[in-house]
Amino acid sequence: MFQYGMHVDPQDLRNPERDRFVLSKGHAAVCMYITMAIRGFFDYREIVDTYGQLGSAYGMHPCKVQLPGVEVSTGSLGHGLPLATGMALHGKRSGMDHRVFTLMGDGETGEGSVWEAALAAHSNNLGNLVAFIDRNRQLMTSFSEERVKLEPYPDKWRAFGWNVIEVDGHDMAALVQAFDSLPAPDSDVPTVVICDTVKGKGVDFMERNLAWHAGSLNDTDLARALASLAHGRKAA
Amino acid sequence: MSTAAKTVTAPGTDQITSFTFGELLSSRTVIGQTLKELGETHDNLWVLTPDIGATLVEFRDTYPDRFVDVGLSEQACVGIAAGLANEGNIPVVSGMLPFLSMRALEQVRSDICYPNLPVKIVGTHGGLVGNGGSTHYAVEDLGLMTSLVNMTVTSIGDPLMVGEVLRQSMAMTGPLYIRLAVGKKDKVVYEPGSVQIEIGKGITAREGTDLTLFAHGETVSQALDAAGILAREHGINARVVDMFTLKPIDEDLILRCAEETGRFVVVEDHLTYGGLASQIADVIADRGIRLDGFRRLGIPQVFAGFGEDTELRDKHGYGLQATVDAALAVTA
Repeated sequence: MFQYGMHVDPQDLRNPERDRFVLSKGHAAVCMYITMAIRGFFDYREIVDTYGQLGSAYGMHPCKVQLPGVEVSTGSLGHGLPLATGMALHGKRSGMDHRVFTLMGDGETGEGSVWEAALAAHSNNLGNLVAFIDRNRQLMTSFSEERVKLEPYPDKWRAFGWNVIEVDGHDMAALVQAFDSLPAPDSDVPTVVICDTVKGKGVDFMERNLAWHAGSLNDTDLARALASLAHGRKAA
Repeated sequence: MSTAAKTVTAPGTDQITSFTFGELLSSRTVIGQTLKELGETHDNLWVLTPDIGATLVEFRDTYPDRFVDVGLSEQACVGIAAGLANEGNIPVVSGMLPFLSMRALEQVRSDICYPNLPVKIVGTHGGLVGNGGSTHYAVEDLGLMTSLVNMTVTSIGDPLMVGEVLRQSMAMTGPLYIRLAVGKKDKVVYEPGSVQIEIGKGITAREGTDLTLFAHGETVSQALDAAGILAREHGINARVVDMFTLKPIDEDLILRCAEETGRFVVVEDHLTYGGLASQIADVIADRGIRLDGFRRLGIPQVFAGFGEDTELRDKHGYGLQATVDAALAVTA
């Protein structure tokens, strides 16, 4: 999203015309820091050297007060879509043509506040609002369809009045196409891009393994993981 | 101060032409009119509500582009307000406090207080009012809100004060909580212009030297009535302080009252713990003050039941007579 889909400028953080990004699944902050560093927002070395340490701006969940490059402070699940809805409402009512993006996990859409905001976004015709959902089908301790039945998931969003795009979340070409096919920001229907993903993709011992939802890598695991990724690349 | 009946014109409002001083006025109407007035001078003022917008109609009709009724979704309402504030707006969320303070508590805390956004939450049903039963009484709200970092907490009885606090709040950079009772028929306590209203400063509503009655919201007029009885029937000269800002608490005023009156009675339409009494007790303990008497009157640890507000206050020991009795006890 930072590399292709969003119009942002790391040299001009408060440009009113910029696209906004709300990381609703705040626990993925480290991924956002890195991708934003690649885009030129932050210093990669600083993230790696200070992450989670006393005084660092780079914590487990993003804080806009400590790190002004991020749009909002997030972490508690189910908060991102209401926040993004408010930001999109401002853009829409101001007649501006930027978009507001948010990224949610599928698990967090169990939170009622997500569906409250889905209603509000539809009711207020927020065509400038785009929600990406990491549909990895895993919660922390279970697989989503085993204990929490989200399906028919795309239909739920359609029933809430949203435009639904379904993609393979690991297919960069498909993701680019999804960005290219977004309705115009001044249109009236919010869009959800449901990204079919596999948690731990490419690391054989992590794929779809609940134990690695929040696992920590030791040196041996790291070597195995890197080898597995290299093997996958070679095969592809 | 509230007993003289006379007609005066309220400042800053042209719709309310007059009211009878000491009688009843609707805070909700004042809020609606004040927001409409502020909407003109502040083009980034938004009003949001979860389906409690009857008195916001003027704002809605005048500034439809800055009005949002999300229906029954308090969590989204507060989150959306935070998103709007993130874009440089001043959102006012208007609704019923039991739900804004509890169902949306985490949104208030993490979406508004954490990034210190200028969102105002103003609502009704603070205390045992409205006869709705315990689902519809906000009796823990001040404890919850005063616990939140960056939050300024007020509780207002006089309907005209609500307008003034809203006006002052436009310059605030952080969040604000405004607690009202029912907001339909509120007693006008102060003659406009007779007291200085400043967020963070208590108001001495009646001077006195024998004890201080601390109150906020609707119990201010009750405390004034109690002070009148104490003076007439018992020769006791009670000071009444309207501590309408619970956070940040006016420590200087508390210290002065301790020095000058030595005895405190706190009466509030809130649980006896977590509200104003607790705030004052914290100051007393932290400053090492020795008082000659301290009583806290309010709702005990019960779900209060049905009844009119004055009946419930009497039942639970913080009505007019209980206030008089507590004052007599600490001055005995």
